[in-house]
Amino acid sequence: MTAALDSLLLCLQLTDSAFPSGLYTLSHGLEGFHQAKAVDPDSMPALLTDLLRHSVGPADATALALAHLAAGAGDWDAVVEVDQRLHASKLNRELRLAATRTGRQMLETARPAIGGEALEHYAELVAAKRTPGCQAVAAAVVYASGRVAAEQAVASDLFAFAVSFTGAALRLRLTDHRRAQATLRATAPVIREVTEAALARELADLGGCVPVADAMSGRHERSEARMFAT
Amino acid sequence: MTDHVLRVGFAGPVGSGKTALIEALVPVLIDRGRRPAVITNDIYTQEDARHVRRNLAGLLDPAKVVGVETGACPHTAVRDDPTMNLAAGAELLERFPDIDTLLYESGGDNLTLTFSPVLVDMFFFVLDTAEGEKMPRKRGPGITDSDVLVINKIDIAQYVRCDLDVMTADADRVREGRPVVLTNSLTGEGLEKVAELLESYRGVTA
Repeated sequence: MTAALDSLLLCLQLTDSAFPSGLYTLSHGLEGFHQAKAVDPDSMPALLTDLLRHSVGPADATALALAHLAAGAGDWDAVVEVDQRLHASKLNRELRLAATRTGRQMLETARPAIGGEALEHYAELVAAKRTPGCQAVAAAVVYASGRVAAEQAVASDLFAFAVSFTGAALRLRLTDHRRAQATLRATAPVIREVTEAALARELADLGGCVPVADAMSGRHERSEARMFAT
Repeated sequence: MTDHVLRVGFAGPVGSGKTALIEALVPVLIDRGRRPAVITNDIYTQEDARHVRRNLAGLLDPAKVVGVETGACPHTAVRDDPTMNLAAGAELLERFPDIDTLLYESGGDNLTLTFSPVLVDMFFFVLDTAEGEKMPRKRGPGITDSDVLVINKIDIAQYVRCDLDVMTADADRVREGRPVVLTNSLTGEGLEKVAELLESYRGVTA
């Protein structure tokens, strides 16, 4: 098997919605917008691209790119710094908790499946509470361990986010099974654009700016009823 | 996994009495010297978690009852991808290392629900008489494969035209002899038997 094909297979495995990292329990802010009646089936795709461009891209995708580079070079201080900065950039408790829960569970599943010293070392740092273990950084270490290039790793993780977001939209009746696929395909150019920007961004610029989404998330955190953890 | 902790699942249809069973069981376990905690998987609200905290106030620290959101997928949350429940359990044990029994209540679901063996050491499937005497005959992995089948609300069987003898005999037949317990969670009837069966798994699967 060629290295490129092996990388592709690992990306497919990690982005599969059946990969057990708890993503199906997250709506990534969508349920908050839905409860506030601030999104409908027509505007849902635009909300997805806005979050990709202004939240996930500058924050999680950038952290993934930077942590991938650092993990590949064995620079664990830099990995920890990226992890801490990403954790600090998430303003709401539910977003921080979701990031660390999914990150730690991804790590626990990837360790036996993929293996390698880097994964073990990062898991030790997380267990010792020396680093938060955010999902994007855990994913970076997993992809780096599987020798997946940074560009593919970032694009794959953004795609996994988009799949999870549209899956939540489906359960909130903000789309249907066919429109969801059309939305995903239409999001591909945005994922390409956001990937490119994330690979070029520096640590000092890590972090999104989505005040409305943060407010929605804050309200969601205290809502009486909800299906999703975010 | 923490070896000294027994993890127990409670599954069953909506309204069969999973929460009531847990609320009746916790005092029995505490009487036996156990230190339990509860993780509920509500479908849409934190109602079950709040109910347990309220009904066990003074007996169980409210912080030892946590709710987990399941993204509308209760079966996924305890079977296909139990990661969020594993995370909630790990966080509880980190905060309260004295816990020796973790009770996981699934969201109400259909008869196919089973628990991942990674999440629990054993699980109960809870039916109730008001669902109809035919329920065990409908089978489904929850009814046939659970470690213990509970038939709850036996006190109202007479009012809902449910012949308990038929329901029990059918349950015994489809479960090929695995335990079936009849309970009334409001009076505590059958709860000692439930606790006894639960305890029989302690140390066996660790």
